Amino acid sequence: MTSGPESILDELPGELMIWVLIVSEILVFGVGLILFLSVRLTDPEGFATAQDMLDRTGAGINTVILITSGYLAALACQMRQPLERTKRRLALIGAALLGSGFLWIKGSEFAAKSAAGIVWDTHPFFNFYFMLTGFHAAHVVAGVLLLLLVAWRDHEESTADASAFWHMVDLVWVLLFPVIYLL
Amino acid sequence: MTHKTLHIALISLIGLSLASTLLSFPAFSSHWSTASGIAVLLLAWQKARIILAQYLGLAAAPRWQRGFNLALGAVFLTFLALYLVPLSL
Repeated sequence: MTSGPESILDELPGELMIWVLIVSEILVFGVGLILFLSVRLTDPEGFATAQDMLDRTGAGINTVILITSGYLAALACQMRQPLERTKRRLALIGAALLGSGFLWIKGSEFAAKSAAGIVWDTHPFFNFYFMLTGFHAAHVVAGVLLLLLVAWRDHEESTADASAFWHMVDLVWVLLFPVIYLL
Repeated sequence: MTHKTLHIALISLIGLSLASTLLSFPAFSSHWSTASGIAVLLLAWQKARIILAQYLGLAAAPRWQRGFNLALGAVFLTFLALYLVPLSL
């Protein structure tokens, strides 16, 4: 006899702890962005001028790179058959390579700011910009390492957990991108 | 969740990302800054919903999906309010 879910927590796909992490990260970055928008109220012109110094096209390209990477990670989770193992590993490596591409563009962006004499205390805008996007980039580094690890030592559960972490990184970027770069 | 669902999710996410980037270009934002800002946030909310539903698999857990959508909606509404305040002064 089969029984239904024992609690609503059992309905969640994947590990509960991954969802705790996802909610925590959304809260942390969400609060950071609310603080950013609140400080912006004190100097809207200064924030708009500082934002115009950002490379919106580069950030847009990075968004496409990250969501394509997320797609490959999600695809890897669907490849559960033993015959699909090579494809699954390739999808995970592809996702990690795209993540590295994101980091390369992000690094170039930071280097360009540094070359232009823009540092974290140039303006409060850049304080938030470096803190929030830098913290996100640290998550991308962790995600790339996780993806490579599960591509090497692949297992269905660890692949699902690493992919969920990667989608969380994706989700956080979806919050950061419009607020920091576009609004 | 099928491969086809994932393909559709990817295409939708790319389309929404390109649309939001285009909306921030001066050709749009200088003429309709408030409207383009609102649209950018709405597009981002939609992207977040797709990632939760298709990439993270919440489409298979409708009650959780509704909860996350509501919570993210509240976050984006807060962003929107804080974005609109200086424009209304």
